Amino acid sequence: MRTCKRYMRLYRVLITQFLKGIMQSKVDFLMGLLGFFFTQFMGIAFLYLVFRQVPSLQGWTLEQLIFIYGFAQIPRGIDHLLTDNIWLIAWRMVLSGDFDRYMLRPMNLFFQVIAEKLQPDALGELLVGGILLVISLQKGIVIVDGVHMVLFFVSVMAGALIYTAIKLFFASLSFWVKISGPFLQTAYEMADFAKYPTEIYHRAIRFVITWIIPFAFVAYLPASFFLKAEVSPGIIGIECIMAVVLFSIAYVVFTIGTRRYESAGN
Amino acid sequence: MKVYLPFASNELKRQMAYKGAFYLFLFISLFGSFISYYLWKAVYGSANSTTIGGLTQQEMIIYVFMTYVTSSMVTISLADWVSEDVVKGLVAMNLIKPIDYRMSLIWRAGGQMLYRFLMPGVFVWIGLEFYKHYALGMPFVKFTTVLCFLCSASMSFLLYVLFDFCFGMIAFFTTYIFGMLMAKEALLSFLMGQLIPLSMFPGWAQKIFEFLPFPSMVYTPVMIYLGKYQRSELVFALGRQFIWIVLLYALGSVVWNRVTKRLVVLGG
Repeated sequence: MRTCKRYMRLYRVLITQFLKGIMQSKVDFLMGLLGFFFTQFMGIAFLYLVFRQVPSLQGWTLEQLIFIYGFAQIPRGIDHLLTDNIWLIAWRMVLSGDFDRYMLRPMNLFFQVIAEKLQPDALGELLVGGILLVISLQKGIVIVDGVHMVLFFVSVMAGALIYTAIKLFFASLSFWVKISGPFLQTAYEMADFAKYPTEIYHRAIRFVITWIIPFAFVAYLPASFFLKAEVSPGIIGIECIMAVVLFSIAYVVFTIGTRRYESAGN
Repeated sequence: MKVYLPFASNELKRQMAYKGAFYLFLFISLFGSFISYYLWKAVYGSANSTTIGGLTQQEMIIYVFMTYVTSSMVTISLADWVSEDVVKGLVAMNLIKPIDYRMSLIWRAGGQMLYRFLMPGVFVWIGLEFYKHYALGMPFVKFTTVLCFLCSASMSFLLYVLFDFCFGMIAFFTTYIFGMLMAKEALLSFLMGQLIPLSMFPGWAQKIFEFLPFPSMVYTPVMIYLGKYQRSELVFALGRQFIWIVLLYALGSVVWNRVTKRLVVLGG
């Protein structure tokens, strides 16, 4: 309990320092946000143009696909906001020896990594996700009752944890190969597949994004639970199990990796 | 030309140096095409007519992958290099050298273009031709079409880098160009026809596109490849690309002169 409190306090201190840095460069921050916002907007415009040609896509309407798209952004945004520093392990910290400074402090390593940085760009994803969610609620295509509302939050949290787990796993590979950025990026970009109903893909692709790098459980599958009454809440249960299992695996690999870590001495 | 050739060959060598990462990036960059491929298959499956936006399903598959081949060659982001040079102050070094900064960038981009054409481009292209012939039952592409395509794609490349040079000039006014580069990429992928054929836009939008340089960057060469342009249309399309190159070249010179006059570089 006391350690927990100590970590909370430390997190606050570290994040406050970081926020001060952000406030110094407000323009940069706004530009980054704008760029992200724009990219997301294009994705929606694309869907809109596609649906000018067809009334529905394998039984899904434009409104439903927009909800799936928006829903997918929220766990992605939460993970992006909180754990963006993991990317640096994959790209350069292990190679350059910067990871040393975490090893020197008497604190949990994973905590230090994620506490060092908040990524404000992520607000772009959260904003887009939020807006699309509100639009979908107004259209009345989303099921709103007690169970669904509770499970919505559970699902978003579990989804964010799946993202973190995938990032942590691939970033930890850098303890063996020095730079694992390309692997991490490959895995991360697979999330794009899950923005659309996975039924449209070949079986092999569907299998990979459902069970191996399970982005389908972050986006399409839980989203369908909120859209269609006949989808069982079990899907959120599986999502949670996936999240816990994946994160445990990733954390173990990370811990073993840090034991193998040797500094790039000088 | 002898002066600038090393810029191209150096870039080529630099790209070759990181092969492992490159194959993965190649793999990633094809993700988008495969998502589009499956998405369009589903769209054609749900549509009432066999052609959408003037393209049949087979043509759409070719469109998706030829867009990949073309845009991987064409979209070489000069603006990234410019902003890097400006932030690091290297641009001052380039000003005192007896070379034209823009030319050196274009040649460097040329090296990268060649590399991207050799590495993913040609293989995806050949793969596509085989797929087209054996799985879709269409004839191989005609030799003259390939020539016209290559000619048009080279002009697209020039057009894109000249535009991007102008865009990169923003780096002189703001240090944080990252967000803008991202917005540019998103907007261009749309306007160039990289995400979706321009013929699927509403009529009023297509009218506006007539007056923009962006369709000439990817859409035009791919449409030429698909054999959608007849004689006079073909000449017109190529001519339009050429005119845009001249205009953007002139614009780039004007902006560059303005910018370098007000440039202040601190330190040395």
